Amino acid sequence: MEKMKTEDFINELKDALEIKVEDQKVTLETNLKDLEEYDSLSVLSIIAMIDKNFGKQIPSSDFSKVTTVSSLIESIGKEHFE
Amino acid sequence: MSVKIVKIEYYLPETIITNNDLEKQFIDWSSEKIEKKIGIKERHIVKEDETALDLALEAGKKILKIYDKDRIDFLLFCTQSPEYYLPSGACILQDRLGLKTNIGALDYNLGCSGFIYGLAMAKSLIISKIATNILLITSETYTKHIHSKDKSNRTIFGDAAAAVIIEKSKNEQIGEFVLGTDGSGYKNLIVPNGGLRNRYDINSKEIDDDSGSLRTDNNLYMNGPEIFNFTIDAVPKVVSETLGKNNTILENLDYVIFHQANKYMNEYLREKINIPKEKFYLNLLHTGNTVSATIPIAIKDALGNKLIKKGDKVLLVGFGVGYSWGGTIITI
Repeated sequence: MEKMKTEDFINELKDALEIKVEDQKVTLETNLKDLEEYDSLSVLSIIAMIDKNFGKQIPSSDFSKVTTVSSLIESIGKEHFE
Repeated sequence: MSVKIVKIEYYLPETIITNNDLEKQFIDWSSEKIEKKIGIKERHIVKEDETALDLALEAGKKILKIYDKDRIDFLLFCTQSPEYYLPSGACILQDRLGLKTNIGALDYNLGCSGFIYGLAMAKSLIISKIATNILLITSETYTKHIHSKDKSNRTIFGDAAAAVIIEKSKNEQIGEFVLGTDGSGYKNLIVPNGGLRNRYDINSKEIDDDSGSLRTDNNLYMNGPEIFNFTIDAVPKVVSETLGKNNTILENLDYVIFHQANKYMNEYLREKINIPKEKFYLNLLHTGNTVSATIPIAIKDALGNKLIKKGDKVLLVGFGVGYSWGGTIITI
């Protein structure tokens, strides 16, 4: 699977969270739990997005430790990113 | 010897909980968002004094209006909400439905895979000449196990019972089965207390799941993300194995009915497996996820809505609690 640009990943993530691209700034430092759109439903979308782009499932025990976008990238594995 | 499903009926309890009802109780829960994402608008739930056996009885009575009860010589009853530890609900049902006494009857405990397993057992009982006409009832009341403040599970699950009759037939109308089990995931969908390992505990403390839902260990617990991970992994495999075992390909099928878990998950699985939208059943709008009853309800409704017709080949796949899964292909 091709490596992904961080910027593209953030856009995929915003899409999964149904945040309009121009609406809100999401950076590597953004804490997902601080986002209004982050809830148990959006977690399903993030799981689907990660499976679609990386063919990978993140164990829920790892998922519950995720705080920032950057820590989500670490859970997926930095080797998947440019 | 060959078998087929000859009748299907289902029963939904009278009480309805709508998304608006839930929205009133859970202030940050958007009715519109639920319907769009999960595909559920309302769900039927049992009353305090109504049980899975009561629903099973109603579904059973409905089917016996159109099928001679004296022809039934085996009763299979699937539920995870039993009346008692013992006796079997199936024994009580035999009497209340007025079935003959010289028949076999048993309960089995499965959830979302329960209907597929029921068909597999019914087929083998007929082929082995143990029985000829089987009444299979799947009935579930997960709402009995769900905490009143557990907004996630109260949103997803509804109660229902379905009854089907399986008979001998000239042509094979229930195909080959693929069944699977992975008990390593048992803790991800569980009612921890109330059995003999952990007794029901009136003082069990409330647990906040971090997303605004509360429960205790006496209630149903579902680790949604982990269940989704399991289905992403298991369902594409069971689809391809079921097709392989029946020597067919997706293109040769007329229709596909999965256990109706929730719209988002099923739609993601459909895309991942490349099932055309027009061949894929997706309807939880008025019932929610009714566990072992979703597949027979879907078959009945798909017939009623003329989405499927006599002669159609339909892939059925059930997956969930256990983990347990199964697939087969039926001819309508």
